[in-house]
Amino acid sequence: MTVRDPLTGLTGFTDIKTPLAEIEQPPFEIPRTVPKLRYFLQAALALEFLTIPPYLTAMYTIKPGANQEAWYALRAVVLEEMLHMTLVANMLNAVGGKPVVADPRFVTDYPAKLPYAKEQVPIALRGFGREAIRTGLWIERPEKMEDLPRTGKEPDPRGWTSIGQFYATIREGMRRLAEKQPDLFDGDLTRQVGPEDFYNSGGRAFPVTDLASALKAIELISEQGEGVPGSIYNPDERLFGQANELAHYFRFMEVHEERRYGPLDTPASGPTGPALPIDWTAAYRIDPQAKVADYPPDSEVRLAAEHFNQVYARLLWLLDRSFNGEPKQLQAAIPVMLELRDLAAQLYANPHPDPARAAKGVHASATFEITQAELLAAKKQLDTGAGATALLASLA
Amino acid sequence: MSPARDLDGHRYDVIVVGAGWAGSLVAKRLGSQGWRVLVLEAGTTTLDTWPGHLDAMNTFYSSLIKVPNAPYRANTAAPSPSVLDTVPHKGVHRYQSVGYLVQEGPLPYGTDYLRAGGGTGMHWLGLTPRMLPQDFKVRTEFGYGRDWPIGYDDLQHWYCEAEREIGVAGDAAEQTREIGLPFPEGYVFPMHEIPSSYVDRVMAEHLDGKTVVDPGTDEPVELRVVNTPHGRNSTPNQAYDGGRGFRPQDAVGLPNYGERCVGNASCTPICPVQAKYNPLKTQAQWSRKVTLIDRAVVSRVLVADNGRVTGVEYQAYDDPATPVATTRTVEADVVVVAAHAIESARLLLASELANSSDQVGRNLMDHPVMLAWGLMPHQVGPFRGPGSTSAFERFRMGESRKEHAPWRLVIANWGWTWAAGSPGSDVAEMLGIPETPFQQRKKALYGVPLRERLGDRIGRQIAFQFELEQDAQPGNRVTIDRRHRDALGNCRPILSYDLSDHVKKGMQAAMGVSHQIFDLLGAEERTAYQADAPSYFEYEGTGYAFNGAGHGCGTHVMGDDRRTSVVDQWQRSWDHANLYLVGCGSMPSIGTSNPSLTMSALALRSVERIHQDLTELHRPLVLRPAPAPEYAHPTEARP
Repeated sequence: MTVRDPLTGLTGFTDIKTPLAEIEQPPFEIPRTVPKLRYFLQAALALEFLTIPPYLTAMYTIKPGANQEAWYALRAVVLEEMLHMTLVANMLNAVGGKPVVADPRFVTDYPAKLPYAKEQVPIALRGFGREAIRTGLWIERPEKMEDLPRTGKEPDPRGWTSIGQFYATIREGMRRLAEKQPDLFDGDLTRQVGPEDFYNSGGRAFPVTDLASALKAIELISEQGEGVPGSIYNPDERLFGQANELAHYFRFMEVHEERRYGPLDTPASGPTGPALPIDWTAAYRIDPQAKVADYPPDSEVRLAAEHFNQVYARLLWLLDRSFNGEPKQLQAAIPVMLELRDLAAQLYANPHPDPARAAKGVHASATFEITQAELLAAKKQLDTGAGATALLASLA
Repeated sequence: MSPARDLDGHRYDVIVVGAGWAGSLVAKRLGSQGWRVLVLEAGTTTLDTWPGHLDAMNTFYSSLIKVPNAPYRANTAAPSPSVLDTVPHKGVHRYQSVGYLVQEGPLPYGTDYLRAGGGTGMHWLGLTPRMLPQDFKVRTEFGYGRDWPIGYDDLQHWYCEAEREIGVAGDAAEQTREIGLPFPEGYVFPMHEIPSSYVDRVMAEHLDGKTVVDPGTDEPVELRVVNTPHGRNSTPNQAYDGGRGFRPQDAVGLPNYGERCVGNASCTPICPVQAKYNPLKTQAQWSRKVTLIDRAVVSRVLVADNGRVTGVEYQAYDDPATPVATTRTVEADVVVVAAHAIESARLLLASELANSSDQVGRNLMDHPVMLAWGLMPHQVGPFRGPGSTSAFERFRMGESRKEHAPWRLVIANWGWTWAAGSPGSDVAEMLGIPETPFQQRKKALYGVPLRERLGDRIGRQIAFQFELEQDAQPGNRVTIDRRHRDALGNCRPILSYDLSDHVKKGMQAAMGVSHQIFDLLGAEERTAYQADAPSYFEYEGTGYAFNGAGHGCGTHVMGDDRRTSVVDQWQRSWDHANLYLVGCGSMPSIGTSNPSLTMSALALRSVERIHQDLTELHRPLVLRPAPAPEYAHPTEARP
């Protein structure tokens, strides 16, 4: 598989040999009914979530203490993706939907194909390196948007060309539906995640209660990624009164080019500011197509990789609950995210169990695989009160 | 070249000495009122950038002993004391002070502070309990220490303002119910309480509703675990401020960061995620009217013949490793000294100012902390959450204060870290590493058995911090002597410190209570005070040792009589009408509350007065028609 890299003109991502997984994409049309709109928003939820494991993998494979600027750039992007996911869940709840997170169909296999794009770009779980950063550039690229789908009986045959176009289509659908149905955003308010549960983490969440707040959410999602049109900055200054911050695409570009943007730089100029030294070797090398099944049964690495996925399943349940009427569950989700960070770090620090690959410097990795069995086990664990409550009960 | 050298002869409305907690608050409020404020900081200000924060984190991670000043770099031009400076000694005293502080008293003052932008507030634990109404009149009510010229009611509004600036998380209703604290009608804190730790819940399970006997009074005291208010991000309370809610301040140097506390448990000395308030968060809100100049050590406050201060003399240096400075002066209508209780007193003594009462430097107080530790029979999960989230509060109040010093019985959530240097000391012990290099190494554990033993031991560690009120004693004091100087030639603080019998009786009673609590818990008590510990002393046949809490107070004491106090109720010098001494040094008594919140309330209250003083100074002359002249205009011919 080869992809022509828009940056260098070279062909890239040639290391991916397996077929790419595809997340379910709605047909290329403007959603005209409320159930259709909910379907589009659920797809948007999956799209936001799709980006998080690759970015986390790039971040956590940086060796301890190295490349701090790149580490914080990745962290800032990941936090904003989490914010986007939360805002999409708010939109979905506002229009009476029920976000689905704890479902094996929600979680894609990797490498996945970049959705809402014509090109076959593999989104893989890559260790920190130029290819990982280029993956981010592909996902976040600001593109001249093609036309929205034409209205007709059948879906427009031309198909999706960009994520920006997908969100613009949702925006258009919401706008038209809201005209016909004044009660479109009458969803249960208690299901909304507000700033009290999500703040100072890539921005703050806000409840979606009407068309205006829904449009603000879409604007934020598009512009934190691609930038305010014609600019390298995201809209945080305007929306939250915060300091000017680079949009994701330009953060990745800084790392890729090892140079910061200066105050007068534009998307066209590229970064011309101070140097941003990156040590591309200070990262664990991993297999971007690793699966748990690659590791010998009962080996320590296998057990650690399986354990990681079980905790990952627990996180999915906590997020599912947070978006389905219990926003306070986000407080329980955060320690689980930190637990995943520590478990992943242990895997990356461990040489690959296959001696031949270990000899080439390849390390083990977290695979972010989810099966129905793992989800059921995680749910059982949560229902029996994993953590403090069970221990306290045992004291009595 | 340091910009501090450029200011020579400039004039401001206000000079604030010290970019720490109190100074940052004063500068924020006065700056937002439009006054031109110059803040002079003796140390450096790298901590307000993200790389500076990361450097402090890395210095902390790599330091062998995680003391409060461990993350912060040394500065030879503006040195800071360290708790490691107090070492055992065989001589007149059991201790010797080998660092910046000169110590001559019977017992060591075991507390440090930090001279850098943000000040000692960079390594506070993050607890914000209010003082009790009865704490303000200990002399009248209980016969010890000094009374305040103002009371709880005078501070009520300012406590609320301070809680807004810090972003306090807590449960006001519980504070009223369990401690009897009055709040304004319907008041809630800016954020909901920090969840009580698992250790707290175990304690509550075993102890809530049980009683222990105070051996000092033979009175029963009921135990109840009460959540402590924190200066730490939790969940903003939507009901705050009449339903307007509260928005937590970002981290300093990195936007979109500084989320809720995630339980790193290293609050002292540094919060990695900046969930904990620190004064740099206030500095980030300064208006453009505020100028911060670092590496400027104020050496003297200047005074005119009429008794009004005119400005300050300071030493500008460039390199913290090269103690070479040039002396400059700068002028202002009002000078606010907010340099930490010990440093402010030192500066006043060096300036020979504000001391007609002979109280400058006296009444030095801290909260002596007696530690008690033990092992629970089961896992209690320490190190999850902040260093402490709850306490037993009933020992702070009541008639027993006539017999002995009261204390706040703080439940530690970091195992034996403070008591015995865990977990490092546990690892060393299990590796068989002897206490001195002259002993032979014992049998060591490795691998899985080591991990299991460590997990078992550390997971069962509990500790209590008995934080006692110290009464104001004129003999506990800061002095200076020309023979003891720092590298820039400034006089170093000389401390003379001791505990009164009132405090020692408090420790005696606290130890009795501690034994009863370990019994009720079914825990194995491991408390042991070593006779060679620097702070070891014996009282009525029993040995005790204590630690400092970092709560230096009392050195420019507030009162209602200029003959016996240094400042009035506005923290304004009795001797110099435009000199304010702002900080814990003004407090005549400190109760059993960590003092930062009360200090903030006092500072904000003083700002109102400073604003009034400045407004009066700047009131324009009112031009009225001149009264009919008795003689003709000068241009006309006089008779």
